[in-house]
Amino acid sequence: MKPAPFEYHCPRTVDEGTALLAKYGDDAKVLAGGQSLVPLMNMRLARPANLIDINRIESLAYIRDDGRTLRIGALTRQRAAERAPQVAERCPLLRDALRLVGHAQIRNRGTIGGSIAHADPAAELTAILVALDGEVTARGPKGTRVIAARDLFVSYLTTSLDPRELLTEVSFPALPAGAGWSWMEIARRHGDFALAGVGVVLAARGGKIAHARIGLTGVGPTPVRPAEAERLLAGRAPSEDLWKGAAEAVRAAVTPDGDIHASAEYRTHVAGVLTQRALREAWERVREAA
Amino acid sequence: MSTRYTGARITRNEDPALLCGRGLFVDDIHLPRLAHAAVLRSPHAHARIVRIDTRRARAAGGVLAALTHADLGALGGPLPRLIPHPALVHHKTQQALASTAVRYVGEAVALIVAESRYAAEDALDLVDVEYAPLPAAVRLEDAAAPGAPLVHEDAGTNVCARYTQRVGDVERAFAGAPRRFRDRLVMDRGTASPLEARGVVAAWDPRARLLEIWDSTQAPIPIRNGLAAMFGLPQTSVRVVAPDVGGGFGPKVMMFYPEEILVPLAAQRLGRPVKWIEDRREHFVATNQEREQIHDAEIALDETGRILGVRTVFLYDAGAYCPYGLIVPIVAGTTLPGPYRVPNYHCEFTAVFTNKTPVSPYRGAGRPHGVFVMERLLDRAARDLGIDRAEIRRRNLIQPDEFPYDVGLIYQDNAPVQYDSGDYPRCLGRAAEMIGYADWRAQQDTYRAAGRYLGLGVACYVEGTGIGPYEGCRVTVEPSGKVFIATGVGTQGQGHLTAFAQIVADHLGVTPRDVTVRTGDTAAFGWGTGTFASRAAVVAGTAVSLAAEAVREKTRIVAATLLEARPDEIELADGKVFVRGVPARALPLGEVAAAANPLRFAMPREWESPGLEATRYFAPPRGTFSNGVHACIVEIDPETGMLSLHRYVIVHDCGRVLNPLIVEGQIHGGVAQGLGGAFWEKLVYDAEGQPLTTTFMDYLLPTAADLPCFEVGHETTPTPLNPLGVKGAGEAGVIPVGAAIAQAVEDALRPFRVRITEMPLSPARVWELVAEARRSA
Amino acid sequence: MKLEGTNTLPASVETVWKTINDPDALRSCTPGLKELKATGPDTYQATLQIGIAAVKGTYAGTLSISDKRAPTHYKITLEGTGGAGFMKGEGSVDLEAQGSGTLLKWTGDLQVGGLIAGVGQRMLGGVGKMLIGQFFKCLEERLGGSA
Repeated sequence: MKPAPFEYHCPRTVDEGTALLAKYGDDAKVLAGGQSLVPLMNMRLARPANLIDINRIESLAYIRDDGRTLRIGALTRQRAAERAPQVAERCPLLRDALRLVGHAQIRNRGTIGGSIAHADPAAELTAILVALDGEVTARGPKGTRVIAARDLFVSYLTTSLDPRELLTEVSFPALPAGAGWSWMEIARRHGDFALAGVGVVLAARGGKIAHARIGLTGVGPTPVRPAEAERLLAGRAPSEDLWKGAAEAVRAAVTPDGDIHASAEYRTHVAGVLTQRALREAWERVREAA
Repeated sequence: MSTRYTGARITRNEDPALLCGRGLFVDDIHLPRLAHAAVLRSPHAHARIVRIDTRRARAAGGVLAALTHADLGALGGPLPRLIPHPALVHHKTQQALASTAVRYVGEAVALIVAESRYAAEDALDLVDVEYAPLPAAVRLEDAAAPGAPLVHEDAGTNVCARYTQRVGDVERAFAGAPRRFRDRLVMDRGTASPLEARGVVAAWDPRARLLEIWDSTQAPIPIRNGLAAMFGLPQTSVRVVAPDVGGGFGPKVMMFYPEEILVPLAAQRLGRPVKWIEDRREHFVATNQEREQIHDAEIALDETGRILGVRTVFLYDAGAYCPYGLIVPIVAGTTLPGPYRVPNYHCEFTAVFTNKTPVSPYRGAGRPHGVFVMERLLDRAARDLGIDRAEIRRRNLIQPDEFPYDVGLIYQDNAPVQYDSGDYPRCLGRAAEMIGYADWRAQQDTYRAAGRYLGLGVACYVEGTGIGPYEGCRVTVEPSGKVFIATGVGTQGQGHLTAFAQIVADHLGVTPRDVTVRTGDTAAFGWGTGTFASRAAVVAGTAVSLAAEAVREKTRIVAATLLEARPDEIELADGKVFVRGVPARALPLGEVAAAANPLRFAMPREWESPGLEATRYFAPPRGTFSNGVHACIVEIDPETGMLSLHRYVIVHDCGRVLNPLIVEGQIHGGVAQGLGGAFWEKLVYDAEGQPLTTTFMDYLLPTAADLPCFEVGHETTPTPLNPLGVKGAGEAGVIPVGAAIAQAVEDALRPFRVRITEMPLSPARVWELVAEARRSA
Repeated sequence: MKLEGTNTLPASVETVWKTINDPDALRSCTPGLKELKATGPDTYQATLQIGIAAVKGTYAGTLSISDKRAPTHYKITLEGTGGAGFMKGEGSVDLEAQGSGTLLKWTGDLQVGGLIAGVGQRMLGGVGKMLIGQFFKCLEERLGGSA
């Protein structure tokens, strides 16, 4: 498992990076954490003629908290975000999900931007970005633009990023005050790709659900935001029956693929089970916060 | 002989170097002008090779050679048949490189040698091969059926062997039996997954006329002998070294894998040393696999649950070739009766070729299958007869006063299956006690009331170990007083460098740290068969003991001369040699060794030979039988099918334990592999024979995070079959795990009336079984 | 793997039939097709660069149309070999008039072998279906319709 020959480039600034991407376009791949790309290259499934190593662009590693949004530089290591006090404070859903991303060794190198740009259909972070209506910032030959999560994920491993664009920042809205959250997933072993995963946020008002945000992973080519389930929950008083109804609505919203590990039926079923349990746990947290 | 060290729980001699990264594995071998090889492998499960053209590959930068079958000359024929058997009608082996057809994805088609592995892999892309795909025989039952595509056309069939073993009269037993239960039990393909994949380095020195090979193999001596024969060299001109080996588990015993021929050939032709290191993806297609069997089994009992007869008819997937013969299905069939009295038994198997990676033994080598079948049948009987599952076992166990107990079968070593020793009821009792069997129902009810589904499983087994033909050992005391021993078995993590040192230490009055053990180097010791079948401690260990004992006697003779005493008055202790009762006049052991090798003058006749050295062999007439009982508590979430392992108890009896730390390590590893095979590890092939699980992303090995702490109880019934009283323990851990887990999962899901008749399970499969059971309710 | 689907195309059966036999349409709508050179009636030499995101393989092979029963049925076969393995897709296409448009039913068998099969089983089915979907979407657009 040795990669095919490639040219190696090591830009020091974002501008240098985008210049290289503009030059090589389709024949280049960005190397950040490398936890997905390097195995693909070693197995010769990916043979980029040019590897653009952005690990020296220090300006891309940061976590900024302006009170309402967490702005995370693309090169921020997953482990750093997992342990950052701002993440724990503003978006504990992200922290909880990060703990389940691979293993600590992988998270020491893997980056937040890399996970989003790679868009694995079973990734945790992409589902959370979609659930929270987050955004990414990308810089390319035509300048800088902001892409909303709902416009970002196109298909398996495919985003709407242009090959000449460099993803520079991922931003997650902070959870509302007093909100409850929960991330639950089923994986065959610790650290495996989720067979199905659900992230849930419940904003509360007056003992009822003000609004709900749900994001699912592992149930299709891109993360799923089950609008009907969210609608069902909005403004309602919490109850086991309500969670059950939301679970059914989630099941109706997903069309997972089956594979050798789990059938489509199983994933659909489990997506509902996890939703039910996550809603229950999220509401528990609402009560604890109160 | 003192027993200060034999049986002691001491840390291992091999660990400081291994843990500090100072081990020497085959990829650590660096030689001047080393070239690197890569293998072009078939992407088709079955195809004719129409044309191979290596011109573009040969012209590529850094490429030194591109070999196809046409270049192999005398080495192009089928590789040796390891273990022939009269029932094995079509004993097909592969060629070092495929010539007219490929029969499994991964079969070697060409060898590229280049200045680097990178360049070699670049050149693989430049080899032009035209294949004409042929229909593939993939599913075991489909391959066995008439009209299936033929894996070997000239055989006219995919059935390579049919074999039956019988005890008593099973027809009559079943005809007259008050109760009969049958089941279909399916076990799926798995692979051993050693931490270190395979690898070969070869160097040919034309001036010294020496072919040196480093090979991550479990059996270097047969490799040496085989290569010498194939290359037309004297055995003394070939040296095979198995350096540190990162796990073997069975698949590294072969003679030969294609690379074991190709790499030395390339080294000879190029006049440069050549290295080939198998990467993990290759390992998943090019290293032997195992575990696929389908049993249609029946048990006949009386109303009290006493076994009257057992019958199994099974299919065994041999893969595309069967170099290793019928060992796995024979072991499965002879292990099945287990610790129970089975007066009538019929075991019939059909070995079938399929267009998948060839099969050879993997830890357990068929024993897990025999145990799974027997234990599932007993559990079925227990449930339908309303008898407690531990009780039904108790009622059928062979009792401690019935040894030697003749099962009536012939084992893999062609000797009768005769249990020599054991206390089966005691092991079952201890396991039941350790797991809390007596209180279980009450505990389970408490969990159920809280909406949790926990289950307990218990499974018994007997394991044939320590088979011949022989092993040997040479023990030498050097003038430094340090002891050096060499034996023919290889070491892949079994702790031989410690356990054997402990035995020697007790005989010679030194410490285990003073004893250096050399294994796996044909230049150090050239007689032996290898490490497999849980035999090294028994067979090599006994040879070590016999040789050390002989050196002790020689030491006494030499010391008697030096100290002017009688040999029977001489003692060895604490590195010294002295007359009993006169410790003040002691000689250091090394001084005796030096004196035993005089430079001048006559050597006393009673010494017979110089030095403190002896070589001894042990050739057991048959194997010795270990046994054990596993018990576990699991929890299942019926909504998701997810399994949690709460407790895992192992009670085992391997006779005398040489080092409990090492035996426990062996057991832990075996149980981990068994649990992998119960809930995670499954090799999947699609309908065209394409392997779909060729990375650890899809072939799931349980990690420490997924497994509980193991609780081990040692029982000891020494065997009379060797002076140490030792029985094998290498494979024990893996053998009953599937059976125990199946019973535990069934117990957990009793309210749903789920039956487990397959391995491995998975969350999705458990959920499906619950859903199916609910539907049919 | 077995895949199937139906598409409604906003054109008559004859028009659709002409389009799905037209090498220009095949050339522009087959995902990843880099080169299509006729080597005989209904047979073409094809070079494909197909994959998803960074995972791309180049396959050299043939595209052929057989079992023609104009204007309602044919079989189309695309097979190729490359460094990442080999692929063979066989599709059976049936056209049925539906009002002023055409109902196109396809069933296919997609075999993927070699490296990509051993590593990509998690996504192969989904990606295969998606690529076939892209083919039909392109045809639809070509025929002047929208989804």
